[in-house]
Order: sequence, then structure tokens, then C-alpha cells
Amino acid sequence: MSSNVLIQAKSLCKTYELGPVTVPALSGVSLDVCQGDFLTIVGPSGSGKTTFLNLVGVLDTPTSGGLIVFGEDTATLSRKQRADLRLRTLGFVFQAYNLVPVLTARENVEFVLELQGLGHERRRRAEEVLGQLGLEDLGDRRPNELSGGQQQRVAVARAVASRPRLVLADEPTANLDGENAELLIDMMQRLNREENITFVFSTHDPRVVRHAKRVVTLVDGQVSNDEIRNV
Amino acid sequence: MTSSIASRYALRSLLRHKRRTFLSVVGIGVGCGVCLFLVSYVRGESEMMMRAAAQSGTGHLRIAPRQWLETRNDDLRLADWGTGMAMAEKLDGVACATPHARTDALLAMGTRTVGVTLTGVDPEREPHLNRLIRKVTLGTYLTSGETGIVVIGKGIAERLDVGLDDDILVTASGQDGQIQGAMLRVVGIVATGSRALDTQVCHVLLEDVSRITDRRGPAEISILLDTPKRYRETADLLQQHVGGESVVLTWEELIPELAAAVEVDKTWTRLMVGVVVLVVFLGIASAQLAAVLERRREFAVLSAIGMKGGQLIRIMLTESLLLGLFGGLLSLAIGLPVVAFSATHGIDFSGLYGDADLSVSSILIDPIIYGDAGWWLVPLALGLSLTATMLSSLYPAWYALRTDPANALRVEH
Repeated sequence: MSSNVLIQAKSLCKTYELGPVTVPALSGVSLDVCQGDFLTIVGPSGSGKTTFLNLVGVLDTPTSGGLIVFGEDTATLSRKQRADLRLRTLGFVFQAYNLVPVLTARENVEFVLELQGLGHERRRRAEEVLGQLGLEDLGDRRPNELSGGQQQRVAVARAVASRPRLVLADEPTANLDGENAELLIDMMQRLNREENITFVFSTHDPRVVRHAKRVVTLVDGQVSNDEIRNV
Repeated sequence: MTSSIASRYALRSLLRHKRRTFLSVVGIGVGCGVCLFLVSYVRGESEMMMRAAAQSGTGHLRIAPRQWLETRNDDLRLADWGTGMAMAEKLDGVACATPHARTDALLAMGTRTVGVTLTGVDPEREPHLNRLIRKVTLGTYLTSGETGIVVIGKGIAERLDVGLDDDILVTASGQDGQIQGAMLRVVGIVATGSRALDTQVCHVLLEDVSRITDRRGPAEISILLDTPKRYRETADLLQQHVGGESVVLTWEELIPELAAAVEVDKTWTRLMVGVVVLVVFLGIASAQLAAVLERRREFAVLSAIGMKGGQLIRIMLTESLLLGLFGGLLSLAIGLPVVAFSATHGIDFSGLYGDADLSVSSILIDPIIYGDAGWWLVPLALGLSLTATMLSSLYPAWYALRTDPANALRVEH
């Protein structure tokens, strides 16, 4: 595996048992994600986008197929090792922001750093990241005191504060208006350029697709197209 | 020093649903407050029983001949009672020590007779130990050096139809089994407040018992303690000094039926406390589980950002710890005034007794129970509340750990 390849998926399959019904979410997805990618995964609802992100984010395990994440075969990892891998190398941004409602914006960002074992410097780092995303004056506000765009930027700050190598974003702009969506994408592009953070999005949003360096199309749980673009 | 984010998260999670947290804390507070009162009450009742036994002539401790415990034979005499008395009086915590000798006897006046246990006493020391004879309603108590006199209970006086300065005949079995007799002049009549005990009190000087029974010296030394809670330690210490021919007995060994009654009460109280703690435990477990179910997505997100199972458990235990702490403090706020009132004013059960006799096993019972109060209430309150809350969070924590983050996030999606 090249040192440039962060994620290596080979014939990845995932099925869900929903009572008597077996639902195939992924049916043999093979895909590499490289360092520096700004990659979007597009496809209709139910095509397996979120499932793929969950597998890459080691939140779930494949039914069959191989998945190497940062050189680790995910099939051999224990629950604790997967949590550790997520903490050290991954960041997550969700469609519904999913900030902890009882913590302030700064504390939401600090929480990840505290889980990593950072001491006094976590506050400084949290404020640095919030500043990078234009949230320096909003650190003491709770999520219910922020707009949707601001909340999503805090979620991005939380995702990047620990300096992950890869950020997985599941429909991050779905709940944002046009202006906030563009602002968010610009910020993530900047982080991709300046901090060399790899981004993988699942999205329906053409504004995100427009900025992507690479677009992978999933249909019925399979890769139907993989396009490199000059952006 | 700044607090950890995890601690702040735990505290603020409790404050998220103020009403639920308030009700949980009140549940813990009331439950544990009730437990505090129950334990205080039964400790006070035990203390009352012990005090009643000790001050009814038994003492907290007794030095007796070693064979007495098996035979309960009042004819036995102490081998070296002077040494035993000296040892007892020297010990810290001993309020008084007094010798006794007893024999079964028959009192007669004309054609009237009544069987009694004749108790030989030291009249200088006896009133310090025995509260029953402090209520000499007619005449006086015994006087040192004046032999041939007797103080009897009101019930005996009525049965014999005697009054002060009347001479009554006493007969008892001597050392060789021969019937011995003597005349005793009534110098005092006692009303104890118990009809049963009024027919039992019959005190003479030790010298008179020796004269009537031909057995010299006392059969026992009864000891009253200043620090009754340490009676077992004092007994052990005294036993080391009195030698092998004598044995030091506690009030529990002297009146085992009373000790058994006290133990039954304690066992019931432990059971009641256990039931209350169980109810609190189930209530908190239910509330905690509801909180976990509401926060499944939140836990899934925390798992996604890298929180490990152990860290999640610590957060949930912190929440339980805080609940237990607040509940424990509330239980003290509720329980302490009630305990303090019962400890100072007592709970008066005399109305429930009505005309019933206030004696049990020759012990005059106090119908007013004073609760026991002390600093031990604080660790008890916190111990009960923290035990209930920490244990109650185990199942919800286990449930939270089993949450599949991908599933929880997908469902919410």
C-alpha cells in the first residue's frame, strides 16, 4: 500500500438485517482514498453513501470484503482499538451537526482534545481552531444560541481540532442555506490546502460537488463512476 | 484548576432535565432520610433497653463465678470479690460497681406468704446502680451497718398487708439445705411504676443474706458504665484482670431474652432500610435508563469522535455520584432535624402502653425512646445514597456501552 493511500477498500459489502428482510447497502465497493483528496461521494438516497462513510470511519464493520484504514486491517481491530483509531486519525462532521447541547462551542471542541489526553493547551488549541473558522467571539455560546451555519462550523472545528488526517463529512451542507454552505465549503477547502487534511463527503449538494477534486458515484451500493477533476 | 469537560458534561446533563433530576434527588433524599431516622430510632431503642437493664439492678457488666453462666446458680460465691471490686473501680469508664448476693426466700406475715428473691446489697452503692429503689415512697432505703431490716416493693407490702416498721419472717435454704429463718423489719416501701416489679423488689444488707444462707460474701459484682457503648471492650479488659475463677458477663449474657428482642428489632430495621434503598435504587435506575435512551444519538456521536467505553462509564458514574451527593445532602437536611428532635424530645409511646405494665424480664422499660444522634449520620447518609445511585447506574451504563453508534446515527438520520 502506497504511503499516499489512506483508505483502501476492496470489494466491500455490507448488508443489514431488518427483521425478516435483508438489505444490501454496499455490494462490492472498491475504492482508494489518498492523502490530500477532497472527495465527494454522490448518489441517490439509499445508494450506500452513509454506509460507506460509517465503514471507513470504523463505526461499523463490513459484512465481507477488505478495508485498510491508515494501514490497519479493520477486521482485526477490537472495539477499543477502533475508538482509538477514530480519536487519533479521524474527524466527523454530521448533517445534523450533533454538537453536545450542554457544552459551549469551545467546550465541544475541547472535548475531543481532552479525550486525547491534552492538558492545559487544549483551550488554546480550541480557540485557535475556532478563530480559523471565524468563530472566535462565539466560544462561550451553547449550540442553541448559534445559527445552523455557525453550529456546523463548530462541528468542523471539533472535527479538525485534533489534527486528523481524514475528515468524514456526511451531508454537511444539507441543513444550510446557500451562503452558509459556500462559507463552509470554502473553509474546508482552505483546511484541505493549508493543513493537508483529507476530506471525504457524502452529499447531494451540487455546491459541494462543484468544489470537489474527485467525485465517486454510488448507485445501488456499487461504484458506477470515479472522476478526477481539475478544480 | 479548570474542571474537566467530562465533569462539566456530567453535571450539566443532570441539569438538562431539571424536573427529573429534582425528583430523583428528592426520592433519594426522602428515602435516605427515612433510613436515617429508622437507624437512629433503633439505636436509641437499643440504648434504652441496655440502660433499662443496667439501671434495673443488672448493670452493664457483671463479675460472677465462672460456673454461674452454665448453672445460673445463685448459691455460688465469688472467690476474691475484693480484688474484683478494686479492679472494676479502677477502670476508665466505670461509673460504679456494687456487690450483690441473692437467694430464693419466703416472706410471711401471719398467714400471708409471698415468694421472693432476696437481694443482698451494699446500701451506699446500690442507689447509684439501681434506679428502681430511688423511688422509696414510704420510709427510707437501707442503711449500712443496720442489719435485720428490709425494703420491699409495694406489691409485696400489699400481699402481706404490711406497713413501715412491721416485722416479717423470712425463710430460706441454708448451705446444708436446712431451712433458715430470720425476722426483718420493714423500713422502706418502693413503688417502681411497674406492678410486676413491685412484687419483686426485696432488698436486705449483704450481711443478712450471709446470715440467713450461711454463705459468706457476694455472689456477683454489678458494674454500671459511663461509656455504655464500649461495654464489650471494657468487659474484655476487665476479664484480663479478674482471673480465671471469675467471668465477666455483659448485659446481653445476663438477660439474653432482652438481647434477642433488641437484635430482632435491629434485624427488622436493617430489612426496612434495605427495602427503602432498593426502592430508591429502582427509581434512579429507571430515571437513568430513560436518560440513556434519550441520549443514544449523543453517545453515538461521542463514540464517533473517539470516546472509549471506559470514559463513557466514568461520565455516567460521575452523574450518579453527583445525584448521590445531592441526594445524600438532602437526606441530611431532612433527616437531621427529625433525628435531632427525637434525640432531644424523644418519642413518647406511653399512650400506646395504656395500663399495660412497663416491665419486661424484670427490667423497667422507659416508654419514651430517644433517638441516637451523632456524626455517624453523615457517612451513613452519604453511604446509602451513593451506594443506591452508583449501583443503579450500572445497568444503564452497560446499555449505553452496547449502543451501536452506526445504528444509532443511522436511525436518527
